[in-house]
Amino acid sequence: MSLNEAAVFKWVVIVGVAAALIIAVTLLTRPLVGALLGLVIVIAGCIYAYRWIEQKRH
Amino acid sequence: MESATVSVGHDHADHHHGPPEANQSSRIDRQTLGILLFIVSEVMLFGAFFASYFFLRVVVNPATWPPEPYELPVAVAGMNTAILVSSSFTIHYALESIRRGNRAGLKLGLVATWLLGATFLFIQINEYVHLGFSARDLSFGSIFYSLTGLHGAHVFVGLMLLTFATIRAFRGHFGPKAEDHLGVEVPGIYWHFVDIMWIIVYVTVYIL
Repeated sequence: MSLNEAAVFKWVVIVGVAAALIIAVTLLTRPLVGALLGLVIVIAGCIYAYRWIEQKRH
Repeated sequence: MESATVSVGHDHADHHHGPPEANQSSRIDRQTLGILLFIVSEVMLFGAFFASYFFLRVVVNPATWPPEPYELPVAVAGMNTAILVSSSFTIHYALESIRRGNRAGLKLGLVATWLLGATFLFIQINEYVHLGFSARDLSFGSIFYSLTGLHGAHVFVGLMLLTFATIRAFRGHFGPKAEDHLGVEVPGIYWHFVDIMWIIVYVTVYIL
């Protein structure tokens, strides 16, 4: 993955889809559930980012 | 022997003026690295504001959020979110166009992005006028205007960058090669960052 505008645009789409999922869950249930889902997505994103960086280093 | 040594010394002095040249990565150019490092610092700035927001909301723990009798225009802000996200697609279209050598597409994409960004800012200012509370009204008002205002300031800066890029595009600057359209690529990366931050601000402040 190179670091350019196209790569950042991909992240706009990923964050947009994740946000749409959180909004849908929040409106269907309660804000707390949406917040917890958001937290899970952020943690999963951090794990993915860490693995990606480790893969790039080795 | 001595004269040979002196001669080598002179050659050395002729070829090295000033400090040694800075190392440049073969994977990323300096301009793109610069904007990425700037964005990292901006993420930390927004992080501080989000920390304040969650502190007020979770630790202070008012009975309702937003506190009575205040209400946030969720639908209007949602429409504004759609407008700003659309502008990411138009700036991407502009860059894809210039990569293929399509100058008309570049101009169209940049103008559309600028108009969408200006519309977002106009609607946000209009929202501020009609909200019915100010930054002085409770900690909620302070943090609401701080977060959305900080983002609005970033949209304004992004619009300035887009203005320069659009003027240059209409003057015939930029080309298909990567190094020939950095003047659009760098504002494009910044604009995507502004979009991502707004999606997070909208979900946090208006939805959760």
